[in-house]
Amino acid sequence: MIEMKTCKDFCDHLSDYLEGDIGEKECELIKEHLDKCPPCELIFRSLRKTVDICGKGVSAGIPEEVRIRLKNFLREHCGKT
Amino acid sequence: MNKTTNDDRSTVQRVLEGDFDAFETLVEKYQARIYRHLRKMVKDDPCAEDLLQETFLNAYRGLKGFSGESSFSTWLFRIATNNALMFLRKRRPESVQYDDEIGDHANPFYMTASPEFVSTPLEILLSEEGRRQLEEAIEGLPVLYRSVLVLKDVEGFSLEEVSQIMDTSIPAVKSRLHRARNAVRESLVEYYLDRDMSG
Repeated sequence: MIEMKTCKDFCDHLSDYLEGDIGEKECELIKEHLDKCPPCELIFRSLRKTVDICGKGVSAGIPEEVRIRLKNFLREHCGKT
Repeated sequence: MNKTTNDDRSTVQRVLEGDFDAFETLVEKYQARIYRHLRKMVKDDPCAEDLLQETFLNAYRGLKGFSGESSFSTWLFRIATNNALMFLRKRRPESVQYDDEIGDHANPFYMTASPEFVSTPLEILLSEEGRRQLEEAIEGLPVLYRSVLVLKDVEGFSLEEVSQIMDTSIPAVKSRLHRARNAVRESLVEYYLDRDMSG
């Protein structure tokens, strides 16, 4: 059982809480704390929003010329003619 | 086992039987994600391209060693990560310190969040300007934190997969992820607070 007394103690586990990677009892304690502590609740919401936009906001594009050079490089070095 | 993992394994099998087109299918499927990961790690586009080519060449030559214990994507990202870390250790050894900390976040005190960031609509957060701020916040992290955050929150790997890719323990991954997320959060909170006050 993790000891959580101060706001910092709770905030130290918000990332695990967000992942659902925390014990049932600790999860309950954090939930109770967030319900009654607006500053920590705001920190939690901003953390959740950060994780949410990380998953949506970083582009995965690859320039066409990089794609073509990779294809040619692999054909040359892996024996495809 | 999910469908992608099964599909990749049968494609790998075809490559091992000499089907080069099957390898190109794997390259086509993963090149953009591997390139994004490498760009985030080394922060240099020409170097990221060299490492991209090296990663797929290493993967092709080492495919017989792919045991199938992990998914193909985990295996491939591990090769890319190792290549990038080797490159950084050679070129900028100071950037790959295992005890490197994120500024004051060695013992984070958690800057109180202001409501501006939380209330900013998604279309602004994901606008060109919003994406640039996010990328800058991520790129400001030390490489080992940046890599964990990108693998977990951008690429969507599980904590266990990130620990396999980074060749580190799950507690170490969780600790770096927590600090990295908090540093990015604080950077975005500050940016949207200033933006709100100035405009």
